[in-house]
Amino acid sequence: MKIFNSIKWRLQIWYGLILVAVLAGLGIAAYELERGKTYRQVDGEMMRGVNSIANALHDTPPHPPNGDPRFDRPGEFPEDRPPEELSGENFRLLHLRDQTLFIGNDTNSFYFVVWKRDGSELVHSTNAPTKLPQPEHQPSPEPQPPRMRGMFREISIVTPPGEMILVGCSIASEVKELRLTALKLAGFGGIILFFGLAGGWWFVSRALRPIENISAAAVKISAGDLSQRINVAEAESELGQLAAVLNSTFARLEAAFAQQQQFTSDAAHELRTPVSVMLTQTQTALNREREAADYKQTVEACQRAAQRMRRLIESLLALARLDAGQEQMKRLDFDLSNTVSDCVELIRPLADGRGVKISAELQPLEISGDSERLAQVVMNLLTNAIQYNLPDGEARVKLESQNGMAVLTVSDTGAGISAEDLPRVFERFYRVDKSRSTGGNGLGLAIAKAIVEAHGGTIEVSSEENVGTTFTVRLPAA
Amino acid sequence: MRILVVEDEPDLLRSLTQALREEDYAVDTAADGEDGFYKAENYDYDAIVLDVMLPKMDGWEILKRLRKIKKTPVLMLTARDQSRDRVRGLDTGADDYVVKPFDLSELFARLRALIRRSANKTTNVIEIGEVKIDTALRNVSLKEKPVELTAREYALVEFLALHRGEVVTRTQLYEHLFDENESSLSNLLDVHVSNVRKKLGSEFIVTRRGHGYCIE
Repeated sequence: MKIFNSIKWRLQIWYGLILVAVLAGLGIAAYELERGKTYRQVDGEMMRGVNSIANALHDTPPHPPNGDPRFDRPGEFPEDRPPEELSGENFRLLHLRDQTLFIGNDTNSFYFVVWKRDGSELVHSTNAPTKLPQPEHQPSPEPQPPRMRGMFREISIVTPPGEMILVGCSIASEVKELRLTALKLAGFGGIILFFGLAGGWWFVSRALRPIENISAAAVKISAGDLSQRINVAEAESELGQLAAVLNSTFARLEAAFAQQQQFTSDAAHELRTPVSVMLTQTQTALNREREAADYKQTVEACQRAAQRMRRLIESLLALARLDAGQEQMKRLDFDLSNTVSDCVELIRPLADGRGVKISAELQPLEISGDSERLAQVVMNLLTNAIQYNLPDGEARVKLESQNGMAVLTVSDTGAGISAEDLPRVFERFYRVDKSRSTGGNGLGLAIAKAIVEAHGGTIEVSSEENVGTTFTVRLPAA
Repeated sequence: MRILVVEDEPDLLRSLTQALREEDYAVDTAADGEDGFYKAENYDYDAIVLDVMLPKMDGWEILKRLRKIKKTPVLMLTARDQSRDRVRGLDTGADDYVVKPFDLSELFARLRALIRRSANKTTNVIEIGEVKIDTALRNVSLKEKPVELTAREYALVEFLALHRGEVVTRTQLYEHLFDENESSLSNLLDVHVSNVRKKLGSEFIVTRRGHGYCIE
């Protein structure tokens, strides 16, 4: 079985892909949250630095807070403010005030650069990288989005007077930290994925086990062992129900197959006797020279055997066609009573020969169907009624309308059929009389049933031993 | 040799009977199970050819009842060739089995074998002194020279040879040499015995007065 044709593998692959996507999404979200948090913290600290510098730039030297018009209205700094104001001494103050931020030249510590309006550098912290390019941005007191320069993160603002203050710091340790977090997340994700896939495999295998049972049974059945059944462990689940349905299908299949085999064997059996007759007759006749009368007798016996085989073959073919649904029933309206009375007249010589009195009570009745086929049904029933009758017995045929159905009853005064045999009389090759002494081939009633059912009708039998048997055919009236 | 054929198909029964009679068997017939069982019960046949599917009483039933009282060899005729049926037939006490349709020559060969086996003989050839009887070819020779016997004479010789050393009563001989349709005149048997003695030597058949005949 190829991997991609296996439901198990396909389920597992889809499940794995979804699991990977979910884990990756969660991991990325967690990583982004962590990164954002770290950067916000760094940015916050840098903003404090920027604010300190901005304050230091403009709060020192300490001017009287009132009376200095430059600070009364922020945003309107005078243009003539000397740059010397921002040098040396002020930054010492700054150092003092925010020494925690700007100590030494440790790479982790913050650095700053201040540019004048014209782009020349005003001052920078001792640990500031040299030749730091001045960020380009609009003159605005709002902080610009932080920029990244290699491992350095820098934030800059333009003060109202026009100086640009940049504070930066190395974020190498944060990046390292973040990488570690990412690795941890990936590790956890991997572990979850592993257990997820393993669990998924277990679940899928478990869920598909009944299917494996079903397929194993089906394989054996297709190999010809029709007695195989699926082992139904959990009858309640969908697969259990499927297995039950399949089991009952297999049972029906087996029964149908057995029936077919029985039918074939019965058919062969029926042919064996006439063939035996022909063989023994001809072999005996050929053993030595015979009189013409002897040969005639042999030929007659062979003819009888051949006729018997012909009848059997015709019956078998009729049944096969009816089974295959090939024999299309004509749908013509005709008077069933005419058909029945024709049959009665045809059978009368046989009845007379056996001393059976035949009586018909027929009501004209239009029905729609195949008159020839229905005549065959009537003939089969009448022949039975006469052949299984007692001498001086009676066969009665009655046709009447009941609730929109044409009801034909054929009854005899014969020996009747035992309750044990009664349900089986419509079976193929089933004979109440186990020997073949009556000359029938055991298919007449089976054919009658098939024809009646092809017309949408029903055929029933009732019988009382030593009283007689009645067949009732119900056909939809036109 | 007297054989009973029980078969319900009239054409088959007729031709089987004719063919067996032409093989010099005395043949009785029965067309249904009850008649067949009655005859099998009341005569000592050398063999019975029994169909399985019979009206009134089927072949199995006849066999089952017969085996309680007799060991007559039974050859079953059946249209079923499934081994289940063969096993059943042999288990019930059938001595052999022939499936329809069959060849007459095969049926005869099996019948001969059955009769021979029931007489505890293993070959077709019985040698009695200088007389040699071939039951397959149905001929008799004396001192390596073929002897012409009529069918009845041959049957008499064969029956006595198969029961060599036993005293066979006249009634037994009548029962085995003549079928139910022949009116057996008592002196007819004496005529046959005397003719055989002329052809095979007067000492060949010994008369046990008041008992019957015997080949020693």
